[in-house]
Amino acid sequence: MTSFQYHEALKNAAKSMVRVKNPKRLLKMIIRFIDREVGLGHTSILIFDQPNHRYIFIDSKGDRRLPVGLVRLDADNPLIGWFQEKDKNLPISRDFVTYQQVVRLLGNDSFLEQHPAVEKKLRSIKDQLEVFRAAVCVPGFYKGELLGILLLGDKLDKSDFSLEELTFFQTLAHDASMTIKAAEFHDDLSKRNRELEEKIEEINQLRKKEQQTYYQIILSLAREVHARDAYTSGHMEEVEKLGLMTAEEMGLEMTGHKKDILVAALHLHDVGKIGIPDNILKKEGKLTEEEWLIMRDHVFKGARILEPMDDFKEVAKIVMLHHENFDGSGYPYGLKGDEIPIEARIICVVDTFHAMVSTRCYRKGRPFDYAIKELEKYAGKQFDPLVVKAFISAINKRLRPQYDEETGLEITTSEQQAS
Amino acid sequence: MMTKMLVVDDEIEICDFLKTFFEERNYRVFTAMTGESAIRLVDQESPAIVLLDIKMPGIDGIEVLKRIKTFHPETKVIMVTAIETRDKIDEATRLGADNYITKPLSLEYLETDVKDKLESLVR
Repeated sequence: MTSFQYHEALKNAAKSMVRVKNPKRLLKMIIRFIDREVGLGHTSILIFDQPNHRYIFIDSKGDRRLPVGLVRLDADNPLIGWFQEKDKNLPISRDFVTYQQVVRLLGNDSFLEQHPAVEKKLRSIKDQLEVFRAAVCVPGFYKGELLGILLLGDKLDKSDFSLEELTFFQTLAHDASMTIKAAEFHDDLSKRNRELEEKIEEINQLRKKEQQTYYQIILSLAREVHARDAYTSGHMEEVEKLGLMTAEEMGLEMTGHKKDILVAALHLHDVGKIGIPDNILKKEGKLTEEEWLIMRDHVFKGARILEPMDDFKEVAKIVMLHHENFDGSGYPYGLKGDEIPIEARIICVVDTFHAMVSTRCYRKGRPFDYAIKELEKYAGKQFDPLVVKAFISAINKRLRPQYDEETGLEITTSEQQAS
Repeated sequence: MMTKMLVVDDEIEICDFLKTFFEERNYRVFTAMTGESAIRLVDQESPAIVLLDIKMPGIDGIEVLKRIKTFHPETKVIMVTAIETRDKIDEATRLGADNYITKPLSLEYLETDVKDKLESLVR
């Protein structure tokens, strides 16, 4: 092969190898390429097996190829030690080692006299080169770390290696080292990403648990409010049932998070009343202007209590607006129609209905039919007419109220009623 | 007289490599790539030491070990194998293997171990 052809072949090889990201494949390509283009007894590569702190052969080609998988070179192997040694005072290049060079130095008495410590090392290197049938060894480094060694047997035509060839082998060893490192970084990065994802998942779980705990606390507060307000103890459950029923009747999408939000709002809409003194909350007569202001404030108090619940931002808003009226006559903002969230419009209806039919400390519950009539009367004013329609339709379809003078509202299914 | 060694492995590169390595160190090395030829060579040449792989087609290294230790109990046998399961090691040891070295091995250690086993034979 002429120098020009050789150069071209090398250039082409380098071009195609640059694209190979898988280090094992690249190393095997390098071996195949040298074996094919240069013509050697063997071409072999030792790579650093990091988990086991040793160097092993990854592949070998040629008539005098080395067995792969038989031997390992530990860190104390003279060949490994030679390339890893940090002693810069030695007058020998560590970019590569050739058998010829070692033999020449061992025959140079004045050199050996000047560097007595080197002789022993050179002899063991010579042994290693003989064992591995290597005429040339080219190390591959990344930031001073020896990642591998390219071992080359004698040329088949017995000629010496040219400087051009040695330089090219160094380039290959360098490229291979870069590819190995890049792949390692990539693996490492993927691993770290996975770890990070697991951590995030863990944090999310913790946060979810924390939110659930907080939800339970607010729920207890809401129960406390109802207890003080002398509703029946089953108020929250009833309101939830009525609210969901209405939403379903309206054909609203009530699955997953949407449903959770409505249920939470139905449970918690009056939690802000926790801060209102008994003498206002339980007052039988008309509230004074000042008392009324305090009473109205419960929608803001409720929203503030719910604010820390990240998953329930909408609930805080619904709670704040559950006293808005459909015609704009409600509080705190006087919103109208669609400006009021549908959940708040539903709460307005079911809560009013439930309050009317429930027995309170200062009055008996009103009859069922009376409550229905009241809802119909105020549809389009206080209430969203569509919500009222759906509510009445749902309650007639599925539940038959049984109004008991003593115990207030009791709702049973029509089947139970019939039996 | 040179010490006789038998290398048994179904990979020709391993046989060649160890043959060259130990010939350079003044052993007379025979190689076998099957259990059958290993048994024949042990009977014919009575090597002082055998480097014995386990996984081979046909008669495997464990069978060869049994055979050697029955008919040539003085022959030293070093198992050289990639298998490193506890029960294989135990089985080989129970059958009289003198050592169990797993691949990839350190040549320096292998050489020292071979010397050790042969010295114990002389004593």
